[in-house]
Amino acid sequence: MNEIVHTHGLSKRYGEMLSVNNVDLLVKEGRIYGFLGPNGAGKSTTLKMLLDLVRPTNGEIDIFGKRFHRKNRIEILKNIGSLIESPSYYGHLTARENLRIFQIMLNVPDANIDEVLKIVRLDKQQTKKISAYSLGMKQRLGLASAILSFPKLLILDEPTNGLDPAGIQEIRELICSFPKQYGMSVIVSSHLLSEIDQMAEDVGVIANGKMLFQGSLSALHGMDNSKSLEEIFLELTGSEESL
Amino acid sequence: MKELLKCEFLKTRKRYILLTALAITTADLCWVLYGNYSEDALAKGWMMFLYQLPLVNAIFMPLLSIVTASRLCDLEHRGVMLKQLCYISSRGRLYDAKLLYGLGIIMISLSVQFISVFIGGKILGFGGVFPAKLYFPYWLFTIVPTIAVYIVQHSLSLLIKNQAIPFFIGVIGEFCGIFSMFLSQLPLLRKLLIWGWFGALQFVGSDWDRETRIANYYLLDIDWIFFTITVIVTAALYFIGRKLFCESEV
Repeated sequence: MNEIVHTHGLSKRYGEMLSVNNVDLLVKEGRIYGFLGPNGAGKSTTLKMLLDLVRPTNGEIDIFGKRFHRKNRIEILKNIGSLIESPSYYGHLTARENLRIFQIMLNVPDANIDEVLKIVRLDKQQTKKISAYSLGMKQRLGLASAILSFPKLLILDEPTNGLDPAGIQEIRELICSFPKQYGMSVIVSSHLLSEIDQMAEDVGVIANGKMLFQGSLSALHGMDNSKSLEEIFLELTGSEESL
Repeated sequence: MKELLKCEFLKTRKRYILLTALAITTADLCWVLYGNYSEDALAKGWMMFLYQLPLVNAIFMPLLSIVTASRLCDLEHRGVMLKQLCYISSRGRLYDAKLLYGLGIIMISLSVQFISVFIGGKILGFGGVFPAKLYFPYWLFTIVPTIAVYIVQHSLSLLIKNQAIPFFIGVIGEFCGIFSMFLSQLPLLRKLLIWGWFGALQFVGSDWDRETRIANYYLLDIDWIFFTITVIVTAALYFIGRKLFCESEV
């Protein structure tokens, strides 16, 4: 199976604090990779480095088998969709108008707007201003923007934040369908174990900037069959303080 | 770049940014054109405007730049859009597109001001032929400082999320620029401040006779070397602002 993302000794330092410490992330093609960690573990910083929103202090990134550098960044990044931390939007515009801006920038067909609105079930709310949306609806719009170009790689940071239980279930099913239906590989970060447990095939556990475990979800479960995933997770990260 | 400019247009729909800029220009024009013109003032009207306009521009052009740049950039900060846009497109192109769009609004406002001053002068009945040869350098000496001020505001507004900070920097700069025009003993001060360039490039002086209450206007030497420096500094401000934005983290 091809590697979609492979980082080598990825580190990020803010002053004295090492936010991400020598992380080797490995994401395989067509899989859902769950990136688990307590709050402040370095998940978002790592994902931001993959998107060139934050520059690594050390380390290298390979995406789609290519070494990531300034000259090929746009060529690589145009095949990635993302939703980092919170959805991005222009509050005074409607969902359709927001997506139209991304559609022009990404140079993708107009028809994609209708398709993604239908996928995230915002098609009936598309003429409403985003400022009048609930947080859950904004989250759906963020997801719609992320998949607008039907990218090869989807990076989702806490995608179910703000959603009601039905919404969480729906988005979870949606994310699980992306690899098979659209051939996407997905990196999804969360601090909620149950969420990752129900979505991911491969898992990375990070705490205090260090990758503590990386492998298949079954291998994580198999570390101690007598314990729940929560207990295993706490055992792995237990000595690390959550921020 | 065409696509990015189109996106800028789409983003600013329902935000009335051009309308706001034109409202500021209208206030500027009211200040310039309103007055009780004596026969002598009408006879020297075109020269009087060349003397007065740099001061009015030093007040209104930085204000126009602060408001326009801040409103354009606040769109991105409010919706946390930069973290989405900065990986879809090159940061340099994003910086350029927003700058060009903002400068487009500023240029429309300036054009309205120039045309209105010309029409206003004609309607008021200014004497003599319109001195196009003098208004051309005035046009140049207004546009370059305005672009420089706009680039500073644009860069600050893009780099700083809290728009109160670029606003206060702009307002403080503007006040310093205006006051530098009244400190004739410190001609270097207005040259050092980009907000003072409107006054530093002024090439019409005035003698006001207290007894007759008549003002006479005369031409000063145009400092083309200083003008060249302002063009170079403006280009440098653009490159510095662009580099800072390209290297910033989201």
